[in-house]
Amino acid sequence: MLTRFEQSAVTSMMGAGDHPPRANGTLCFASDWERAAFGVALALARDGHFEWDEFREKLIAAIGDWERAPDGSSWSYYEQWLTALEATVVQCGLATPEELSARLALAAD
Amino acid sequence: MTDRFHHPSDREARSAARAKALESLLIEKGIITDRTVDTVLKVFETKMGPFNGAKIVARAWADPAFKRRLVEDTPAAIAEMAGMNDLPAGMAGAEGEHMRAVANGEGVHNLVICTLCSCYPWPVLGLPPYWYKDPTFRSRAAREPRAVLKEFGLDVPETVEVRIWDSSAQIRWFVVPERPAGTDGMSETELAALVTPEAMMGVAVSKAG
Repeated sequence: MLTRFEQSAVTSMMGAGDHPPRANGTLCFASDWERAAFGVALALARDGHFEWDEFREKLIAAIGDWERAPDGSSWSYYEQWLTALEATVVQCGLATPEELSARLALAAD
Repeated sequence: MTDRFHHPSDREARSAARAKALESLLIEKGIITDRTVDTVLKVFETKMGPFNGAKIVARAWADPAFKRRLVEDTPAAIAEMAGMNDLPAGMAGAEGEHMRAVANGEGVHNLVICTLCSCYPWPVLGLPPYWYKDPTFRSRAAREPRAVLKEFGLDVPETVEVRIWDSSAQIRWFVVPERPAGTDGMSETELAALVTPEAMMGVAVSKAG
């Protein structure tokens, strides 16, 4: 059976603790950055930069960290997604933490 | 990268900046392009999703002969629509071969479940709701479908038979709900807007407006 990567990647999360928000059969993005973070992660895994499950492990870990955090920050699924994506990108050597920080500082100016 | 921002709008702005920084860095390195995100999302937003199922159901409502063909040979009927560019190409491909439509009406209400796995006709229904993979939903729906449907707000009269279809890797079922009353003269586009994924799973019915 021919299965698209995008389909199998998202379907693999269904029923698990890291399933993305969705309504009426479609994904829900509250803003463009959430959509961008989602699309970048899927594209990088599809293109073989890392295994989808490697990213998911980091996502599940980020969600766990948030659950244990005592600071009471409100829940944002895609914030955890972004944290997991940054960690995965660094781990597989696509970018260094310094490059990401520098780029972020640049954007803040 | 791990600062906690307590003001919601600061947090939101910070996240937006992090996502932008990551994406632009990867574009600059030539790992992705500025079209990558849109290309990935297109799969979910325009190619594969519940809007396809809604178009198929609307065609079946508008054209009884098509409805018969859809129930008798679902892949052929889907291929027919794809051939007229009314559905994206690929719908009638390897995935479409496994799809089977069942029609509500004439004393029958159909309900689709999956007791073995997460088999779900994604190209026509989109992403499954959280309860679809819940073991309690699956086993209860198989055992006492009327009670489960009532919890969804759907009271199926005793005179109407409830048929359960268990999706599998071989066959992925979807329901053609009954055309609602008061929709005479509506275009297929207007009709498609009345079709929800829940109705195509059989846990809801379609209503006019």
